[in-house]
Amino acid sequence: MDKEKLVNEAKAVFSREDVACLIGYGKDSIGFRVSPIFIRTRDEADQLFFSPLCSLSLVNYLTLEKGVLLEGNKETGGEKIAIVARGCDSRALIQLFAERGIPREQVVILGVPCRGTIDLKKIEGKFPDARNCTEVTEAEGMYYIRFDNESHEVPKEELLADHCKHCAFPNPLVYDVLLEDLVDSKGAAYSDIEEMEKMALEERHEYWKDKFARCLRCYACRNACPLCYCDDCILERVSPQWVNRSVNLSENLMFHLARSYHLAGRCAGCGECERVCPVNLPLMLLNRKLEKDIKNIFEYTAGSNLDDKPLFASFNPKDPNDFIF
Amino acid sequence: MEHFLLEKNRLNEFLSALRNYEVFAPVRKVGLTVFELITNPKEAMLDLKNQPQSPKRVIFPQSEILLVFDKNNAAKEPKGRVGQKPQVVFGVRPCDARGFHMLDPVFEREYPDPYYLQKRQSTLLVGFHCSEPYPNCFCTSVGGNPSSPEGLDILLTDLGEQYFLEVITSKGEQVAKEGAAVLSSPTSQQQTEKEKLSGMAPQKIRRTIDTEGIASKIEKHFDHSLWRELSGKCISCGICTYTCPTCHCFDIQDERVRGRANRLRIWDSCMFPEYTLHASGHNPRPTRTERLKNRMYHKFKQNIDLYGVPGCVGCGRCITLCPENVDLVANLKVIKNL
Repeated sequence: MDKEKLVNEAKAVFSREDVACLIGYGKDSIGFRVSPIFIRTRDEADQLFFSPLCSLSLVNYLTLEKGVLLEGNKETGGEKIAIVARGCDSRALIQLFAERGIPREQVVILGVPCRGTIDLKKIEGKFPDARNCTEVTEAEGMYYIRFDNESHEVPKEELLADHCKHCAFPNPLVYDVLLEDLVDSKGAAYSDIEEMEKMALEERHEYWKDKFARCLRCYACRNACPLCYCDDCILERVSPQWVNRSVNLSENLMFHLARSYHLAGRCAGCGECERVCPVNLPLMLLNRKLEKDIKNIFEYTAGSNLDDKPLFASFNPKDPNDFIF
Repeated sequence: MEHFLLEKNRLNEFLSALRNYEVFAPVRKVGLTVFELITNPKEAMLDLKNQPQSPKRVIFPQSEILLVFDKNNAAKEPKGRVGQKPQVVFGVRPCDARGFHMLDPVFEREYPDPYYLQKRQSTLLVGFHCSEPYPNCFCTSVGGNPSSPEGLDILLTDLGEQYFLEVITSKGEQVAKEGAAVLSSPTSQQQTEKEKLSGMAPQKIRRTIDTEGIASKIEKHFDHSLWRELSGKCISCGICTYTCPTCHCFDIQDERVRGRANRLRIWDSCMFPEYTLHASGHNPRPTRTERLKNRMYHKFKQNIDLYGVPGCVGCGRCITLCPENVDLVANLKVIKNL
């Protein structure tokens, strides 16, 4: 993306709206790392950038610690938060608005049409010694990567984050400013989920057993999730304690089932849970399985329509009822 | 202590000779290298470049049952506690071995902790000279060295076709005896080669920070507004603490399991809001700012006050694995420059 355009639009947002803070992407000093940055004045907006390396979602910062982002108020009097949002982020925002997690009027959205993002683990695995990445661009199915004094061409498929491969919503569905022309989008595809569904029950159990046994219960999947923002989380409750603190297969399984079920009809597909996992759990398989089932059963896709009510806050007489005995 | 030579293709034989020990080694599971009990030496995967978790858990497990009890019976120890048989941890990086050195005073000084100490005493650490540090390694800034034998019982250095095997402690000597059949004596040339590699090791560490004076800076600027900036991107997860070789906070909980109850010790993380939540509902560390500050304060001020060294071995895991790039070295530099 044209950095100048991004920076200028960000500055314009500061001038036009009463914005206290803008959440965007900044280049980190080490390797391919990108960090969330919090811009509080017009001049700081020069630090902003966007590239295929911007794989992290910024939406969770809106609800992570309520009020912190508005601390700039004292100086600017601003009451809004601006955020750089890709397609999946816009879905998360729509879902948040629908659930009244944050009012639409409080958020200024700089929409970025997204061509998919690079999985940091994949690119760091390929170039473990890269120190200072200066540029990553994409053209015709290839990434052009420059770091230190080297430049490389890598096929996009090799580095693309897994959840981006199935993305049906690359374009922001809600925005105040659109930073680039919209990109082509394809329909929802669930080939990975269909593969999983073909597995026999025992086989599936074996598959997940190995994975869940690895879980560290670090809560990163929950904390990074833009839709996990309950003040009182069932996974953390002490009295009653729904999930024991023991880290073993049984409790880990409960932890992940509870986590994914609480995101049923809510997950925006941003892949944050999977991205942040230190033990590489394929958590999006669970989320996408639920997304697929809900789409089939209720013809509903979370965060795809600004006018939708949350799935579990709406009722349709045509909803299937064959689960009632 | 003695020096030996171990042919690389006889490593499995060496491991098999340790039949009196339970051997823990890095194994590859679900795409990750983790330390686990192995029954066949072939399972060992000496992938020193990819150890997202330290071997801390072999001696200080994430969940450990201390007592089992039910309505009718008095509490008793669980059966078959790990660590009753001598164990070897194979494939330890020198920084992680120093990590155990940092944990020792915590568990042995004021309130000697039998659960930790029993396993610690019966565990032998076989380490490898670290020839390929991670990009975020900074061990040399906190008193470590990629070729340091500190905390290890045996140190192996890769000479290409052979390992140069140094016995560091008397515990290590015992193991060298058991594996003596596959060990030979190094030539003086191999000795020189080994020393050359050790001398080169520190230069491979790319990140550095002069920690001198940081403790007093942290103390002096405890209420500085910069802490808020530093913690802005932290999402308060437990990755930094759970992958850290020196973090040691734990919680004790009673859990009911099918008619009986377990009293467990479970890792806790100072990054979680629940960590300092009082029964009254008050939380002295209510936000990420206090929690991030506490972790740095504990490692670079309090630990120095208590034990004379920073509570950090510079393994860089908290930096590499942080999902939002909270960078301990960069943060220390910010505080240092205040």
